[in-house]
Amino acid sequence: MTLVAESAAPERMQRRELSDRAFAWLLIAPALMFIAVIVVWPLLETIRLSFTDATLGGENWVGTQNYAALFADPKFWQIVGRTFYWMVLAVSLKLVVGLIGATLLNAAIPGKALFRVLVMPPWVIPIAIGCIGWKWMYNGYFGLISGLLQEFGLVQDRVALLATKTSAFYSAIVTDVWVGTPMVTLFFLAAMQGVSKDLYEAAWVDGASRWYRFRRITIPQIMPVIVSMALLSAIWTFNSFEIIWILTEGGPRGATTTLIIDTYKVAISAQRFGEGAARAVVIVVLLATFSLFYLWFLNRVNRHYGAK
Amino acid sequence: MATLDLQSITKSFGAAQVLTGIDLAIRDKEFVVFVGPSGCGKSTLLRIIAGLEAATSGNILIDGTDVSAAAPVDRGISMVFQSYALYPHLSVYENIAFPLRVARLPETEVKQKVGRAAGILQLTEKLSLKPGQLSGGQRQRVAIGRSIVRNPKVFLFDEPLSNLDAALRGEMRVELSALQRDLDATMVYVTHDQVEAMTMAHRIVVLNKGRIEQFGTPMELYHHPATKFVATFIGQPNMNLLPATVTGTGAEGVTVEFHGGARMTLPVETSSARKGDVVEVGVRPENLQIGQGIAMRLRVLERLGGTAIAYGQMADGLKLCAALPGDTTVHEGEEVGLTFAPADAHVFDTQGRVMRRQQAPALAA
Repeated sequence: MTLVAESAAPERMQRRELSDRAFAWLLIAPALMFIAVIVVWPLLETIRLSFTDATLGGENWVGTQNYAALFADPKFWQIVGRTFYWMVLAVSLKLVVGLIGATLLNAAIPGKALFRVLVMPPWVIPIAIGCIGWKWMYNGYFGLISGLLQEFGLVQDRVALLATKTSAFYSAIVTDVWVGTPMVTLFFLAAMQGVSKDLYEAAWVDGASRWYRFRRITIPQIMPVIVSMALLSAIWTFNSFEIIWILTEGGPRGATTTLIIDTYKVAISAQRFGEGAARAVVIVVLLATFSLFYLWFLNRVNRHYGAK
Repeated sequence: MATLDLQSITKSFGAAQVLTGIDLAIRDKEFVVFVGPSGCGKSTLLRIIAGLEAATSGNILIDGTDVSAAAPVDRGISMVFQSYALYPHLSVYENIAFPLRVARLPETEVKQKVGRAAGILQLTEKLSLKPGQLSGGQRQRVAIGRSIVRNPKVFLFDEPLSNLDAALRGEMRVELSALQRDLDATMVYVTHDQVEAMTMAHRIVVLNKGRIEQFGTPMELYHHPATKFVATFIGQPNMNLLPATVTGTGAEGVTVEFHGGARMTLPVETSSARKGDVVEVGVRPENLQIGQGIAMRLRVLERLGGTAIAYGQMADGLKLCAALPGDTTVHEGEEVGLTFAPADAHVFDTQGRVMRRQQAPALAA
């Protein structure tokens, strides 16, 4: 009896395991097909295009010529540099402002429920509408900012913030931070509210000051969320298109042209699909490398800070 | 170490009064346990002592100094939380060292104090681990370690064992009692578990609805419960309560008539008893024996080896529980006669106050 039961068991288990696996594949099949159609195929098509000189007139296989031209162009490297500068600056500001905002919203201040609602609009209203609003404010003739600066005597003449290279770049950053900060703030706030009250009370009993508790408890406890938000925010900012396009279309004289804007200009505006595709592939490779590094880093952070 | 005095402490949250007129004098090196059902205010009282919560009125004196307005760190207390409140991102060493780092002690002193605490709590091998890598009991010890290094005047414990399984809880009870003796410390310990209270405390404070029901040694509470609440809360299984009517009082005690018509004279002080009063006679399950007396239909018999706990019902539906010898021959479904010695009975008046027993066992000091 026992012998029969023992020999029968593994076979039964194996059969069940196989059918479980088949069932699992069956369950994810629709999603896989969906991904194949909307992600894999366009990606492969873009890679193929990048080895051609495709335009509206037709396409010829040109090998790595597009890439060779791209890498040899000093303007391209300037754009790569500008894109990373744009990303690092905007993400840092979003994180810092988000952290300060979340800390204030998490504090026991009167009317904090109202403030929590007031944080939302930049995130909730459509980006295009928000950006058009900013474009008006930056305007030299009727813009609010120029008007206020003149009113308070800080400038003599009107300032068109989007008209000069430096001010256009930093103005675009300000708008990008305005759009991106609310979500960062709310994620930080949610993470802060998840920190056990006992940890703060234990530290309070031990005499830790507010700043000490923030530094030694809040920050380490929400560190995995900070790192995750930094990664997501970095990818979104790197690929941020509509804000720059609505404000400046990459100008003046390329001052706000990031990789994604450059790609759009080449592939869509100039209809040089092959060259545009090569740029798109470079973006994918850069972001993939960046993401892999970040995920590795996030994993280390999670382990260090004791997250499950 | 230190004494701890609470003087007329009250606490209300808005209209809700959670503590009323709490007066307590806790002696130096005493292990006092606050016990009571959930919502009785015991944790709030502990948090008021710690300074995490402000009392609505009243004073807290530690070693004779009024600390009512002092910050927690200036009161000379340390607290162990129910959740342990360990910092998951810090090692065991850094968790224990946390209060010392806050106080900016030099590294050599930190090392020496953490080392000593770790030695006492057998954590020396675990100092480099993170709390997530420890068992529940070890985490608990780290939390205790963090409170030891501060060398506080009074240790406060808020249900520290309630997250542990039964076996570990038993072990930690013994360890905590030993620790209290080794450190010669004044400790205040909150629990809802009367077994923890009975086994560890020098004296127990029984709290109910924000008031102190009784403050006394475990044996005082067991043999001389001041109220029906204390009588039923302390002791396992719970005390049986039999309704009865007073038919007479005399020097030998109060004579009562039970529902079935049986009469008994119980040796208690009779000053508050009047003929015709409805009272409740309390008998502990361990004081009931098989014999001619109360008739009970036995429903369930739990054999624990040394004793057998018999649960049953009287003819009028009243539930009874008796702790019988382990080798008792009664069977479930059978009618069983139970009896008790009059001296073992507790009598409670209509307000739930006890009529003091005349012949109770001598109390240990």
